Amino acid sequence: MATTLERLKQLFLAHYDYKVEQVTATTTLENLGLDSLDIIDFMFDIENEFNIRIPDQEFRVRTIQDMVDAVDRFISEQNIESSSHH
Amino acid sequence: MKRRVAVTGLGIISPCGNDIDDFSSNLMAGKSGVRRISSAYSSLLSVKIAAEVDFNPFNYFTKRQVSTMDRVNQFALAAASQAWKDSEPSLDAKEKERAGVYIGCGMGGGSTIEDLYDHLFKHNADRVKPLTVLMVMNNASASYISIEYGLSGPCLTLSTACASSANAIGEAFRQVRDGYVDVMLAGGAEAFMTYGGFRSWESLRVLAVEDPEDPSKSCKPFSNNRSGFVLGEGAAVVVLEEMERAVRRGAPIYAELIGYGSTSDAGHITRPSLEGQARAMAEALKEAGLSPQDIDYINAHGTATQWNDLLETQAIKKVFDDYACKIPISSTKSMHGHTMGAAGAIEFVVSLLAIKNQAVPPTINLDQPDPECDLDYVPNIGRKGVKVNTVMSNAFAFGGTNAVLIARKMEE
Repeated sequence: MATTLERLKQLFLAHYDYKVEQVTATTTLENLGLDSLDIIDFMFDIENEFNIRIPDQEFRVRTIQDMVDAVDRFISEQNIESSSHH
Repeated sequence: MKRRVAVTGLGIISPCGNDIDDFSSNLMAGKSGVRRISSAYSSLLSVKIAAEVDFNPFNYFTKRQVSTMDRVNQFALAAASQAWKDSEPSLDAKEKERAGVYIGCGMGGGSTIEDLYDHLFKHNADRVKPLTVLMVMNNASASYISIEYGLSGPCLTLSTACASSANAIGEAFRQVRDGYVDVMLAGGAEAFMTYGGFRSWESLRVLAVEDPEDPSKSCKPFSNNRSGFVLGEGAAVVVLEEMERAVRRGAPIYAELIGYGSTSDAGHITRPSLEGQARAMAEALKEAGLSPQDIDYINAHGTATQWNDLLETQAIKKVFDDYACKIPISSTKSMHGHTMGAAGAIEFVVSLLAIKNQAVPPTINLDQPDPECDLDYVPNIGRKGVKVNTVMSNAFAFGGTNAVLIARKMEE
């Protein structure tokens, strides 16, 4: 099964015009040119992809690895079967 | 001091072409953009025709932009981009503060609203796309244009139904003329091709019945067998620029915008008024300092509803008197449909192209003239080699707002 990082990468590539090598664990969202509005928009897609809900004020992420960690935490907290929809 | 205002750039997204050259040649050739509706819900409708824009947003925008802007915003930005490139106004930081955006739009992000309600009520969604508010709000198009080009003067959205973008251009003209700004991007956009939208127009009984032999011939302005308008969508944006600046930098000058008439019928919410329309035309002539004999072409509002075409004909006769029958008049809605909030701007562009090409586009599907609509509507075949120095473009709206623009060819 694809890792959370892989699935997040795919999500980025589906929603933005980045090149695959631009999106790595250490990439910061700032490097990707994403502002707070973009991140709010992208959170919706993350919620759909991982079947989680991200509570307000609980998604303070700087890098993609931060995002992976947060998603994994929500998956375990919310007891969600981490299977891909695809 | 009143300054002169040049039109120095044109952009268009329309059912008859997504650039100025295509649009111009299609209209002159009498090619209709009306066809069967592509959406799946069309089978549910009694009227299954529309003038849709053939538009692949990925040819214009990033994935992010495509998913976070309504179709109407995409149309507006695409048209603005053409106009900007055409004009190349090259503004420095200071000049951008004296440049603005006026955009007309009737319904804002109509398809986003429909998607929203579909998710909520039909599919019981418990949450909706985070940028929904920004995709629905009617002023998003103007704001995105202002952001794209860094224009930090006035940025307004005018919503007067079918006159929206004629008002936007007219009011922008006055901003430049009266010295508040030096450059304006002005125009309009509409994309209200939704199931709810079609149902609403259908219930109001104003949509054209499909022509039994050829759906593309369904809109028949000024014809005895006209049955209503065909819903269209699209956008047009023009660059308005203070004349001395435009001349100094050698900008392409399509025409000088010289007159604007803005009136309200103050009568009935839908039924047009001869008086209101006539006053708008007369006021535009007065502001332009012209007499009726100076007008060489009128792009009529010409919706192909019973009331509009009859009253517009009578209003033109009232203003132009004996000269009315000598002016070529066309309703290009017969080809590009009724593009609502975009109509005034699209048809102003048609009028400017008449000056540029010294040719007037036809009113197509006019085989059975209405005896009460007895002016020269340029039936079916466009005319080339016509002297067109001065043009009038009419836009009359539900709500009773009337907006008329007059432009004149630049002397050589």
